[in-house]
Amino acid sequence: MATRSQQGEDDRFGVAATLTSGVVAALLLVPAAWLVRTAADVGLAESIAILARPDTVQVLVDSLTLVAVVTVASIVVGVPLAYLTVRTDMPFRRATTVLVSLPLVVPSYIGAFAFVAAFGPRGGLRRALAPLGVDSLPEIYGFAGAALVLTLYTYPYVYITTRAALRALDARLVDAARTLGESPVTAFRRVTWPRVRPAVAAGALLVALYALADFGTPAIMQFDAFTRVIYVDFTAYRQDRAALLSLQLLAATLLILGLESLIRTDQPVHAGGAVGRAGQQVRLRRWRWVALAGALAVPFLALIVPLGVLLTWFFREAAPAGGALATTPRIVGNSIGVAGVAALAATLVAVPVAYASATRDSRLAGLFERVSYLGYAVPGVVLGLALVYLGVQVLTPIYQTVGLLVVAYVVRFLPQAVGSIRAAVLQVDPALPEAARTLGRSSVGAFRSVTLPLVAPGVVGGSALVFLTTMKELPATLLLRPAGFSTLVTRVWTAHSDGYFGAAVVPALVLLVVSGLSMLVIVSQEGYDVR
Amino acid sequence: MDNGTRRRFLELAGAAATASIAGCSGQRLGEGPDSGPMPEQIGSGRSPFGNRSISGGTSMVTMPPLSGDLTVYSGRGEPLVGELVSFMEERYDGLTLNMRYNSAAELVNQLQTEGDQSPADVFFSVNAGSLGAVKDQGRTVDLPREVLETVPSQFRDPDRMWVGTSGRARSLSFNTEALSAGDVPEDVFAFPETDAFRDAIGCAPTYSSFQAFITAMRVLNGEERTREWLNGMLDIGLDTSYSDEFLVSQAVADGELRAGFANHYYVLRVQAGRPDAPISVAFTRNDAGAIFNVAGAATLDTADDVDLAANFVRHLLSAEAQDYFARETFEYPLVPEVEPIGELPPIDELAPPENVDLTQLSDIEGTVELLRDVGAL
Repeated sequence: MATRSQQGEDDRFGVAATLTSGVVAALLLVPAAWLVRTAADVGLAESIAILARPDTVQVLVDSLTLVAVVTVASIVVGVPLAYLTVRTDMPFRRATTVLVSLPLVVPSYIGAFAFVAAFGPRGGLRRALAPLGVDSLPEIYGFAGAALVLTLYTYPYVYITTRAALRALDARLVDAARTLGESPVTAFRRVTWPRVRPAVAAGALLVALYALADFGTPAIMQFDAFTRVIYVDFTAYRQDRAALLSLQLLAATLLILGLESLIRTDQPVHAGGAVGRAGQQVRLRRWRWVALAGALAVPFLALIVPLGVLLTWFFREAAPAGGALATTPRIVGNSIGVAGVAALAATLVAVPVAYASATRDSRLAGLFERVSYLGYAVPGVVLGLALVYLGVQVLTPIYQTVGLLVVAYVVRFLPQAVGSIRAAVLQVDPALPEAARTLGRSSVGAFRSVTLPLVAPGVVGGSALVFLTTMKELPATLLLRPAGFSTLVTRVWTAHSDGYFGAAVVPALVLLVVSGLSMLVIVSQEGYDVR
Repeated sequence: MDNGTRRRFLELAGAAATASIAGCSGQRLGEGPDSGPMPEQIGSGRSPFGNRSISGGTSMVTMPPLSGDLTVYSGRGEPLVGELVSFMEERYDGLTLNMRYNSAAELVNQLQTEGDQSPADVFFSVNAGSLGAVKDQGRTVDLPREVLETVPSQFRDPDRMWVGTSGRARSLSFNTEALSAGDVPEDVFAFPETDAFRDAIGCAPTYSSFQAFITAMRVLNGEERTREWLNGMLDIGLDTSYSDEFLVSQAVADGELRAGFANHYYVLRVQAGRPDAPISVAFTRNDAGAIFNVAGAATLDTADDVDLAANFVRHLLSAEAQDYFARETFEYPLVPEVEPIGELPPIDELAPPENVDLTQLSDIEGTVELLRDVGAL
């Protein structure tokens, strides 16, 4: 393994970071412990019978296939988008960045519902096209539909992490390669790709685990994924069986995490030191506008379908819902407030975890980093119930307060920040903080004054991911929120679940606008380089 | 109860729970209650089916006042019951209702996970299945007799652990320009032989209420008979392409279908939005097609003040609340003195199948398998 620095006894920062991540990992084991405890009610013989059923195995295989397809598709969509918005002279790159990130705030079950409503057998699109003689649309139900919807709402994970890595990349390296006569494609393959690979892998891992644990999409698309089976048990009040199957899901997660550990590069991929030295942009010339149209097509599809469907309902619904569905400034404030606090808290926790695992040659630090994915990899309702248990047993004073809600968000979304930050730390040349130490800085001081500025794009990218996904988090929010506490997404849910589809329009629109504006602020903060 | 029976209980309860999450509809209420003579009507009293006044039942005025803090886990959505909750809070100065809204199934899971540490006082839910599940967990406390006896015995738990507060009937919506009420057989098993339905009847097979109906048929008539019925319906061209029963009812009103399977309130919801729509509702008799399910409430063993909790449930059965359910959610009031809305037949003219314990209804897995097997899903 390449040079891993600062392992002396005086590396107090590194030790503290490892300790912090150990504490976090212990907290993250709570959901797993709760699952084991609950699943124990099933009994051994029946457990074996359930887990060995041929259809259980078949469903697991189908789920993993879905995960593989969605992950690859997200890379295929996300990486070029990141490249276009960072490294080229495509017009409107800042606005495109915001739009391309936005599908992340659409709860995927709303997306799935909208796609069924638009493309389903009785869908709006089919009705609209029928007079034109178009009477067959591709089948939306099943594997293809589930893969499409999941990809459309999860590729931003790959986009945001990759974008952060591209921004942190010293582009003069690429310029050097170009000066030496390499084509843009070769320069990308030989210079850029190896350096952004950890970030792509981090985003892809988030996509894979999301696709594996998502409840809503497979249920709505009528695809027999693993989560659909768990969901049936939960709604039939067979919590023990649901827990047992969730443990199996967790095992699949560990498999994915293990695979990713094997194939990811743990080598630091640093070179140069300046953050985002812009270098020469790739000139697209007359392709600029084609590139823009292509880049916008993806978020357009992901956003216009749900909005269009909700608007259709808005105008069709003659009897509007009562005041219970009003979207007040307070609700908007609640959404932004909890998402902001969660993003901040997750980032604070993620920095030591990511730093320890990227710089310390310690199995323990690596293990803690892997464990941080557990909360993210279990379905939201499972995590929510586990925290309900923790809440009534241990954390009674903060049960059903915003406090426990924020804990839930951090536990659930921590790996999003960890993944992004870790990829950024791997880009930092360890010689730089070492030099600072040589010049008399403490390990903490060296981290703060040298490493942190260099990893800033990764930190911002990670907090943006946590912020956006907290805005849309539903199952844990419903279980843990204080009585009377509403957010934009609970409003969307309320309207949708009681059949007032039209009344979901306003909160859904506000959710998109508020998230878009927040993204704009984040993007501006990082001094986006528009030329 | 042995373990097997209990499991079946829970399975049945599950189907019923999912059946009613996607719910009913209401009409926008006016601002503030009338200050007229008692009993006050909740909201304006206006309704798309004409104004009405409270005709019968026991007014809140005669009930003991509610005072204190009450935590209610509500599987009924805020759009459906929010106005009623505010009405009670405005009526009683000392009353604070902490409403936790979530789907019924998740609330049952939450109550089970919380155990005896739960902050919940009352469980207010959309269906008998979820109430039965909480009862089976041993978490309910029996209700006072005078609260229970406000509703007929078939709408309450024989062990006094929960009481129904409003109801919904399975029904067949039909287009009044294509069919008359007499064309709809009173026996659901006659449907496959009804030529008037050929290539013009539809359903929403993924919708939980439809699945609960099929489950009821499996329980009442057995697996084979249900399979035959489904095959017969598919033979006469049952259109299975709708995603929910509101859409089925809209299609009936549009003339796209002559008839469709839907809960009764969806038809009223279409009528509320389109008063001239050619749509009406028919009911079969004594079979799975006429299943009647209830929303209801239970007091919990974790209630700080069991009397306060029971008094809240009593208020859900007041003349004001029952009138509210009829006018705003288009459900059946369960207190016999309060009339249903619109052209709905009185509740005692409906003929739901006997000997069906709603909390025992169904394992949805078996139903989904059957629907897949015959090609309806």
